[in-house]
Amino acid sequence: MNRYELTYIIDTALEETARKELIEKVSALIAANGGEVEKVDETWGKRRLAYAINYKTEGWYVLVTFKAPAELPKELERNLEIYDSVLRYLVVKLVEKRSNVKPRAARPAAPVAAPAEEAAVEAAPAVEAAE
Amino acid sequence: MSEERTERRPRPRGGRRPRRKVCSFCVDKVEYIDYKDINRLRRYINERGKILPRRMSGNCAKHQRQLSEAIKRARAIALLPFTVD
Repeated sequence: MNRYELTYIIDTALEETARKELIEKVSALIAANGGEVEKVDETWGKRRLAYAINYKTEGWYVLVTFKAPAELPKELERNLEIYDSVLRYLVVKLVEKRSNVKPRAARPAAPVAAPAEEAAVEAAPAVEAAE
Repeated sequence: MSEERTERRPRPRGGRRPRRKVCSFCVDKVEYIDYKDINRLRRYINERGKILPRRMSGNCAKHQRQLSEAIKRARAIALLPFTVD
């Protein structure tokens, strides 16, 4: 399972009920393919587009974060391509913090780590001077 | 690490050397540049919508790569323009 983020733009010509339906449909699609919707965010809502898409200057932005197996984005994109009122979409894999990987956490390395860092700082200007 | 890079001595020959800029993302300890943060990204494009080069922005290589990726993503979903004129 990976974490993904989907942003898509719905045509503002679509009325509110139809728009809600579409958002529901997309969420259902993620769930149906083994995904797990974490958040649906519409705080941006209606927004001016930076450039016209299909001669439209405004769009309704929807943000969805979800957990899903790696095959899902492909299927999701295929479906989003079908909906006429979806002007644009973007699926992005969210990067996990690298600090989650902690090698050798048990060692009381505090006094050792401090001088090592200092040495690195000292080494940096030395390289410059050599230039 | 190279955030606090010491300023170089002005060289005797040649013209004036502008002081080395520091990467603003390193200063803020940014781990991931979000493509949705357009107010931040805006600062790194010129008035034509082009991505500023590293020599102008002063970013480190790592963050410049992340930044260009973020700007391109933002362009794809019409948050930032491809061109302005």
